[in-house]
Amino acid sequence: MKPHDPNRADKGSPKYTRPSGVRLDPPSALRRPLHRISWLLARTGGPFAPEHRVGACMAQNAIKRAVVVTGAGSGIGFALTRRLLDDGYPVSAWDVSAGELAGANHPLLTFYNIDVRDKPAMNRAAAETVARAGSIGGLVTCAAVFKAMPFLALDETTWDTTFGVNLKGTMLACQAVLPTMRQQGGGAIVLFSSSLARAGAVHGAHYAATKGGVLGFARSLALEVAAENIRVNVVSPGITDTPQPRGNMTDAEIFARADHIPLRRIGLPNDMADAVLFLLNDDASFVTGQDIRVNGGAGLF
Amino acid sequence: MENVLITGAASGIGRAAAQRLARRMHVIIVDRNGDGAAALAAELKRDGFMASAIEVDVSSGLSVRRMMVRIDGEIGPVHALFNNAGFNRRGRVDTITEDDWDAMMGTHVKGMYLCAQAVLPQMCERGAGAIVNTSSDFAVMGVAGIATYTAAKTAIYSLTKSLALEFAPHGIRVNAIGPGPIDTPLLRSGRAPGEEDAALAQQRARVPMGRLGKPEEVAAVVDFLLGERSSYITGQIIHPNGGALSW
Repeated sequence: MKPHDPNRADKGSPKYTRPSGVRLDPPSALRRPLHRISWLLARTGGPFAPEHRVGACMAQNAIKRAVVVTGAGSGIGFALTRRLLDDGYPVSAWDVSAGELAGANHPLLTFYNIDVRDKPAMNRAAAETVARAGSIGGLVTCAAVFKAMPFLALDETTWDTTFGVNLKGTMLACQAVLPTMRQQGGGAIVLFSSSLARAGAVHGAHYAATKGGVLGFARSLALEVAAENIRVNVVSPGITDTPQPRGNMTDAEIFARADHIPLRRIGLPNDMADAVLFLLNDDASFVTGQDIRVNGGAGLF
Repeated sequence: MENVLITGAASGIGRAAAQRLARRMHVIIVDRNGDGAAALAAELKRDGFMASAIEVDVSSGLSVRRMMVRIDGEIGPVHALFNNAGFNRRGRVDTITEDDWDAMMGTHVKGMYLCAQAVLPQMCERGAGAIVNTSSDFAVMGVAGIATYTAAKTAIYSLTKSLALEFAPHGIRVNAIGPGPIDTPLLRSGRAPGEEDAALAQQRARVPMGRLGKPEEVAAVVDFLLGERSSYITGQIIHPNGGALSW
């Protein structure tokens, strides 16, 4: 047990220390789906005790409604897909590449090779999901791209791609599922923004702008559909241990961020999945239009 | 079994939180209404849950110290704290008295400070703990006629953020809830019976979901913030308000 010593407040982490030499990616020998599950659980301390789930499912006395996850092939989307499947939700997984889901074989999982900028493809996938699972209870938009670039070097193609996937893709995915939710009398939508929407990011103006756009979009949509029992909320992660930041930073840089985070560690995909599951299920039945910032206490404003 | 201390637990949101958290914790029901606290504890125990009741005025340091002596001696460590005691009193700032101001700040803000201070040392020793404070969506908006209440709720939000930063390195998380209009005795308080219906209709009208929230719906958010599901969330305010305010 750590003694209470305020002078030690800024030194080291009482809860999280990454042992040196621990691999950040699952070793290639563990790249078979079943091993990936145990790898995820091993890194996050395993699932919750059952009592935490009491009264916590979208449709407690019925077959659970399907959840659509965009960007389900990697990072937070993949971790969330795993957790939803573990909890018994049918998942309609949409991504441009199967990624971590390649070869996955789960009776509740259907993968659709979809670019979120492709409206007809999403509408078809939504219709198929309804035909297969009977309804769509939830949508979670994780699909996003982030290629860091100095603003003056930013080309129009990168701007359009970032806005196309992150913001327009989010909007189109909502349009694809909302008629079904409206028809069935309710639903829950969770859109991913980012702590950079508020904090800003050097070399990330285009990305931060899309994530700020998600906030404004989510609030407006929340107001528009609230009376129909459809809830729309946002999760804003801080830096998280996923492939995404690795496009722009080294592992050492990523983990060094923990020094500037009050809880002294960077986020894990399962931290975000926890927040999403809370927002999807009945525990959040009076929560809409909100932004849950899962960031270890970084930047409180 | 872990222990959770809930202030203002005899009615409204505190009561619903006690009923919800009793599913997984021993609940310490604290209220200045000692009879109400004892009745709820008896009810929970009858249903097979673990519960204790203590009559406390959280705005009094002496009363809080006495509470801790009893908890240390009869119950054990406090693993989680739900700082929820509160009340509402209407009145324009040009007419309220100094006593009104002191009472409002005493229960809401000083009470929160005293209770947090009472349990934080032991949480630091364990390197783990979670605190949730009841703020309001009024913490970030102005409301005519209840200036002292909104000021207290903003102070609570501010205290929450600073405590979160101060104790995050010890593995302790501190968050706030910012409920919108919830169907509780507090929402009806300070209004003549004749005014109640009109006032409630007015409250309902400002909620996009078109209804008042239930105490149980707030308790579910408290359960989330006090448990492992929010282990990477600290310094935040979550508003169960039916969309009444987004910010």
